[in-house]
Amino acid sequence: MSLFSNALEIVRDNWLLLLVGQYPNGPLGGIAATLILSVLGIGLAFPLSVLVALARLSHRAWLRLPALALVYAVRGVPLLMIIFWVYFMFPLLLGVSVPGYATMLCTLVLYEGAFLSEVVRAGIEALPRGQMDAARALGHGYGGAMRFVILPQALYNMLPSILSQFVSTIKDTTLGYVINVPELTFAANQINNRLLTKPFEVFLILALTYYAVCFSLTRLAGWLESSIAARRAGPAPVQLVAAQ
Amino acid sequence: MIRFEDVNKYYGPFLALADINAQVARGEVVVVCGPSGSGKSTLIRTVNRLEEIQSGAVRFDGQNVHAPMRAAALNRLRSQIGFVFQSFNLFPHLSALENVVLSPWRVKAVGRAEARARAMALLERVGLAERAHAYPAQLSGGQQQRVAIARALAMEPPAMLFDEPTSALDPEMVGEVLAVMRSLAKDGMTMMCVTHEMGFARDVADRVWFMDAGRILETATPTAFFGAPQHPRAQRFLSDLRSH
Repeated sequence: MSLFSNALEIVRDNWLLLLVGQYPNGPLGGIAATLILSVLGIGLAFPLSVLVALARLSHRAWLRLPALALVYAVRGVPLLMIIFWVYFMFPLLLGVSVPGYATMLCTLVLYEGAFLSEVVRAGIEALPRGQMDAARALGHGYGGAMRFVILPQALYNMLPSILSQFVSTIKDTTLGYVINVPELTFAANQINNRLLTKPFEVFLILALTYYAVCFSLTRLAGWLESSIAARRAGPAPVQLVAAQ
Repeated sequence: MIRFEDVNKYYGPFLALADINAQVARGEVVVVCGPSGSGKSTLIRTVNRLEEIQSGAVRFDGQNVHAPMRAAALNRLRSQIGFVFQSFNLFPHLSALENVVLSPWRVKAVGRAEARARAMALLERVGLAERAHAYPAQLSGGQQQRVAIARALAMEPPAMLFDEPTSALDPEMVGEVLAVMRSLAKDGMTMMCVTHEMGFARDVADRVWFMDAGRILETATPTAFFGAPQHPRAQRFLSDLRSH
């Protein structure tokens, strides 16, 4: 019992730090930073992933091979390595210091974009071949067929997977801690460093917070999935006639 | 209007089309029949180059569809050749009306309002005006195929190709699709139909092509073909049809 009352006390004393970090006296942090990083990360990774997926499906080798290399490289390397790589290499290459937020965002976009591109590619390839045939037979070019026929279906079908990639992204932002991005884990660690004697309580709060956010999103993905399945099956024609 | 000149097609070592020489005149209705795997569908799919050929030419209105050409030129050619698939291939994310509107609007740059009005008229013609806002999953197979015919007609093609348009339908829905095809033929549409509906061939076709093993073995008027088939393979095919 004292564990929970301790935890509650810590939350009561530090809720603002957990929520927004040191803002407005310092950089925005806490859950707010975690969510902003995740939303921006997946939001920018998504268009990238569509481009990478289309490049991977292209019959032009100069488009396909670099996309393939990117996906394989990112899938074969731990996220932490990429974070370090971007963190140390970007300033060297660009000659300017890159803030931790930007480093983390770039890394997330690259990493999640590569993973998401596999989701998008699977979604495109899962559609019956007849869809592309029908579009081409009507005179649509490859681009038009993709834009008006293939992608709208593939992306819609992939919504649940995209949402679960978003959940992964939220969890991946914790690694921003190692390059001092003041997100939620960073805030929890600040609290732990101040209290020193209650690490279990602090990290319990942290775990529960991530769990609450990720679990509700996972549930949302599950609900989306079943409602998409229902919509795809469509109401029986007979019922529909009766309803009108 | 459609002319096959020495067409040969291989799948690896397998000869799918052998020395095809034939033509469909303007306003003519040709029914292509023959046993499964005889190359009927492959043949009809070479007309709008959904299938490539290894040698020969397929001319549409004098122009060789299989000549090297820019993508835009091929798209323009395809838009002039209506194609109806066995599996309908309606776009499931669009309503019946949107399916018919999409290609005139996006490919031929017909104004959206005009494309809608014409699409409505076409749905009326195939007897589905009241189902214009239903999604494909809410339509029966026969209704879907009628929408697919309307969608192909929306590009105002001078010729229509039908690749086993009734083979995926429950028996009681075959009639409604054939009725639409009959009315098209009556209006003078140039048609090439792969079908097992021998009643339709007898009533509507100007000529029947009988295919087996990638070759056209016999071309005749329906009266001659059904009354006194010349080729032994055609005789066996027809007697097999009658025996059940």
